[in-house]
Amino acid sequence: MQNFEPVIVAFCCHYCAYTAADMAGSKRLGYPPNVKIIRVPCSGKVDAIHMMKALEKGADGVYVAGCLDGDCHFKTGNIRAARHVEAVKKLLDEIGIEKERVEMFSMSAGMGEKFAEVASEFTERIRKLGPNPVKTSAFAQVRQAVG
Amino acid sequence: MQEKTQTNNKVLVVGGGMGGIRSALDLAESGRDVVLIDKAYSIGGLMTRLDRTFPTNNCDLCTLSPHLSESGRKLHIELLTMTEVSRLDGEAGDFTATLTTKPRYIDMDKCTACGQCHEKFPEAVRFTPGLDHRAPTCMRYPQATPYAFSIDLERCEDVDALVKSCPTGAIDLNETETVRKLSAGSIILAPGAELFDPTVLDTYGYGVHPNVVTSMEYERILSATGPTNGQLLRPSDGKAPQKIAWIQCVGSRGVQEGCVAYCSSACCMYALKEAIVTRERFSDAIETTIFYMDMRTFGKDYELYYQRAKNEFGVRLVRSRPHSVVSENGSGNLEIAFLPEDGGQARSEVYDMVVLTTGFRITPELRELAGRLGIDLNEHGFARTRSFDPVATSKPGIYVCGLFESPKDIPETMIQASAAACSAGGDLNPLRIVAKSEEELPPERSVLGEDPKIGVFICDCGLDIGGVVDVPKLVDFAASLPNVAFAEAIGHGCSKESLGVIRQRIGDKGLNRVVFGACSPRTHEMLFQDTLRKAGLNKYLMEIANLRDQDTWVHASQPDVAAQKAKELLKMAVFSVRLAHPLADHTLPMNKDVLVVGGGVTGMEASLSLADMGFRVYLVERSGQLGGNARNIRKTLEGEDVQAYVKGLIERTESHDQIQVLTQSLIVDHTGMAGAFRTGVQFGPQMFYRPIRHGITILATGALANRPREYLLDEHEAVMTQRDLDNLLEDRADKVQSWNNVAMIQCVGSRVPENPNCSRVCCQAAIKNALRILDINPQARVYVLYRDMRTPGFEEDYYRKARERGVIFVNYGLESKPAVKANGKGVTVSFRDPIVGREIQLPADCLALSTGFIADEESTEDLGTIFRLPRTQDDYFLEDHIKLRPVDLPIPGFFVAGTAHSPRSIRESVAQAKAAAGRAQTFLARDTINLGAVVATVDRDKCASCLICVRACPFDVPFINAEGYSEIDPAKCHGCGTCASECPAKAIQLMQYEDDQILAKLDGLLERMV
Repeated sequence: MQNFEPVIVAFCCHYCAYTAADMAGSKRLGYPPNVKIIRVPCSGKVDAIHMMKALEKGADGVYVAGCLDGDCHFKTGNIRAARHVEAVKKLLDEIGIEKERVEMFSMSAGMGEKFAEVASEFTERIRKLGPNPVKTSAFAQVRQAVG
Repeated sequence: MQEKTQTNNKVLVVGGGMGGIRSALDLAESGRDVVLIDKAYSIGGLMTRLDRTFPTNNCDLCTLSPHLSESGRKLHIELLTMTEVSRLDGEAGDFTATLTTKPRYIDMDKCTACGQCHEKFPEAVRFTPGLDHRAPTCMRYPQATPYAFSIDLERCEDVDALVKSCPTGAIDLNETETVRKLSAGSIILAPGAELFDPTVLDTYGYGVHPNVVTSMEYERILSATGPTNGQLLRPSDGKAPQKIAWIQCVGSRGVQEGCVAYCSSACCMYALKEAIVTRERFSDAIETTIFYMDMRTFGKDYELYYQRAKNEFGVRLVRSRPHSVVSENGSGNLEIAFLPEDGGQARSEVYDMVVLTTGFRITPELRELAGRLGIDLNEHGFARTRSFDPVATSKPGIYVCGLFESPKDIPETMIQASAAACSAGGDLNPLRIVAKSEEELPPERSVLGEDPKIGVFICDCGLDIGGVVDVPKLVDFAASLPNVAFAEAIGHGCSKESLGVIRQRIGDKGLNRVVFGACSPRTHEMLFQDTLRKAGLNKYLMEIANLRDQDTWVHASQPDVAAQKAKELLKMAVFSVRLAHPLADHTLPMNKDVLVVGGGVTGMEASLSLADMGFRVYLVERSGQLGGNARNIRKTLEGEDVQAYVKGLIERTESHDQIQVLTQSLIVDHTGMAGAFRTGVQFGPQMFYRPIRHGITILATGALANRPREYLLDEHEAVMTQRDLDNLLEDRADKVQSWNNVAMIQCVGSRVPENPNCSRVCCQAAIKNALRILDINPQARVYVLYRDMRTPGFEEDYYRKARERGVIFVNYGLESKPAVKANGKGVTVSFRDPIVGREIQLPADCLALSTGFIADEESTEDLGTIFRLPRTQDDYFLEDHIKLRPVDLPIPGFFVAGTAHSPRSIRESVAQAKAAAGRAQTFLARDTINLGAVVATVDRDKCASCLICVRACPFDVPFINAEGYSEIDPAKCHGCGTCASECPAKAIQLMQYEDDQILAKLDGLLERMV
């Protein structure tokens, strides 16, 4: 556990969060390399399958980052995204995986600092939770059994 | 088409703020060539310094900035920074401008904006991310908006070391001032204005007490990347202020030394915004007080914003112009002395911080520019224009927009910018619209049935990538990935040479997919897509791994970490691109006819602008005649003859062979999309039905003159509206001779719950009529009962003149409205005078009510339903973006202008009409409409027609078609993918972001792990 380096997938909307990530870069703000960004046109594009598949394939944490309330380029995508995240949390709860492994964040395109802060805090959170149980014994056995 | 004699087809746009950028983009999108110059070393102007903008409280630049990189721009706009017009020869249609460009000492082709020079020589390199945190990202476009670096040689002590600090050798000290002659058919001036520096005023202690700041300094303090990193701290001791005061009209609406007489128009709104943001973002325990003279929230929905500030956010408003600001001993706190509005004793209050709301100023440089160009300025130093042609300067062929025309806010600037683009474009030869040929492209090679053959090109971006990770090692890694046929280090991938090499390799190696290990797709996707297309590949067969902005810049101090992440990012891109398939941009042939709904001044101006360009216009008017509201207006505030103007407009409209006027017409049905609309009209006394096919729709349906049953209107002959009085003053001036007292009541039927917004034109009408009454009968006494006198810009001059000539202005509040009783041939008006503090009974020979506008609810509701357009809660049409797209409606191809948009003056309506015509041309210039390829498509076999997509789409695009499955019209789809994520059967995929592509990225990242 000491050397556990979580793998984290961040689905970032093109107009705000992805831009904020670029901003963090251009301001040379460091954040953990654990976070890997997948760009989507709108956070509302991210559905439960994407988050669940990421966890199934072995990611230790997943988050969706969209625009601030009222700033969504597509009006309400960020609100829908938050709903999808809530649904996934419930699902995880039911199957015995910590729901804290998924989260929704909002930031504007100008918030490079916020992006870096979120990436760091989320990585810390997952580090404390430890590896995704899908990768450890019980679930792995189930997976093997199911094939 | 009209004959145009000029041969020159470029437009010179002077000034790269929001206005100049909008003009340039509109022209470029209409197929015009533009040279955009700015004296600063980067573009963006004043707006880039603002934290957030009213009334949305959003960072709106981020909404606009994606549009700045549209490809039309590259083809048609040449940008010259650090450049000024030093001389102008010639005349409209054939100007020769002499442009002088100062040396930047940086070769923009070589500069990668790595920032090394700035890091080592911060004092000698001009770059202002602190002031403008967006500069390094939003304003960064390939080859277009330059990175905002420039060298200040005078401040550099070690020139050799500075030159050596640049890894790409971009610093070139041999650069000299260059002079260039430019031929231009027309010119747009958008040089903006400066903000007033209150140091010259001795009353408010600016420059003496550190906690007295200007509104712009306060914006910077609020900004997340300002001097305090977005924390609200006061300058003297870094404490968080608990009591903040704003003082309005500092330097504006004044007569004392250092002040200007005009109103700066935008400041009331931005003070409200700053106060709201302060309480919203930091703490509602912070007391915010605004000291004001008149709250001038006259724009669209601004009155609601004002009410929200007071009632929801608890911003305190005090009607008083403070006398002075003095420092409380040693504490850094500030004491404001003022006379309260109820006429009581002078008071003082102590604040932690004071914000001086400063307005706009014309600089001496702008006056010199006007002199060089030979245009007239008004008495305040702004470009002189006329009410009926508000963007034309005194010199034919030269147009103006934004602050240099008059003080104004961003939406009005955007409107004028589009209007100026329309007028300037109209001066050019219309044939050129279609004559500009696009680049010849090779045919697109079919990759159908081929296995992926991926080429990976990895940039070193100088040291930005190459200095952190070992690019050759990355190349080896990439070459080992599945389906990668070729990998190569490419240096600066965005340079012309490298792009040439990449094109060559795609052909030579027979590549059918490409991955770039480069910087951000936000800035470079378009460029790399172009490269694929030029190499004969479909432009969607590629992926960019963002190695710079999201890896080497972030992990520069941990090369191993950066290298590992770079590998993962490349692998994700390779896995995903394997599944990429060719996509076709959706296109439609463009119908170039235009439907204009509404035959008032706005509708006619818009029709004429487009018809003069050679477009066919159908002008549909509900009533039996053209002219609209303006038929009942005789004079403008400035004294211009409205009837002569309207008569001329009607004659030109009716006789224009490109305009077909349909009066007594009703819109009854509508289908189609931008470029291919079909609208059914019933017209004439028999109500014949006729379908009109058109590509663009402009709504200019106007508003109604309000006539509420109040204050004995239509019950007593002495009571009339300002419009009635306007006509009476022209036709029956003799009546006025016998008047002793005239009373006027403002805001009748406006700024009340039934009609919450300000009607914008009534304060001007009252002052106009008051002055005319005094011209006819100097003995008459005129009383104006008002809530706030709203005479923005130069209208303030007339308000001042009215006061000087003895018109008496008495303030009243909504809770103590005046009362009116019949009194023989006249009326008695009773009101409370707050200065003397008692009730006044005024016998008046005439009572004029300022009744303003009310939305034409019936029309907007009908048309809103037929065209599926949204409306505001008070029934005006709701534009796409209140700040940046004030004439575009949310459905592409629809535009709105005039009082159908919001209450506005004739001057503003004309500007908006031309703006709508200008924006329409950005569509009409195309032969086809390109809708992009990122659209949702439905797999009919999987669709259960459950209606979820129909409900989920934020733009109401999907519908269940006759065959029983969901259909998404690619012409209407905005490409957000919401439907794709909501669809329970996964029957919908968003092109370029298909589920299997996203999952492939996850595989690329996680494959080794389980």
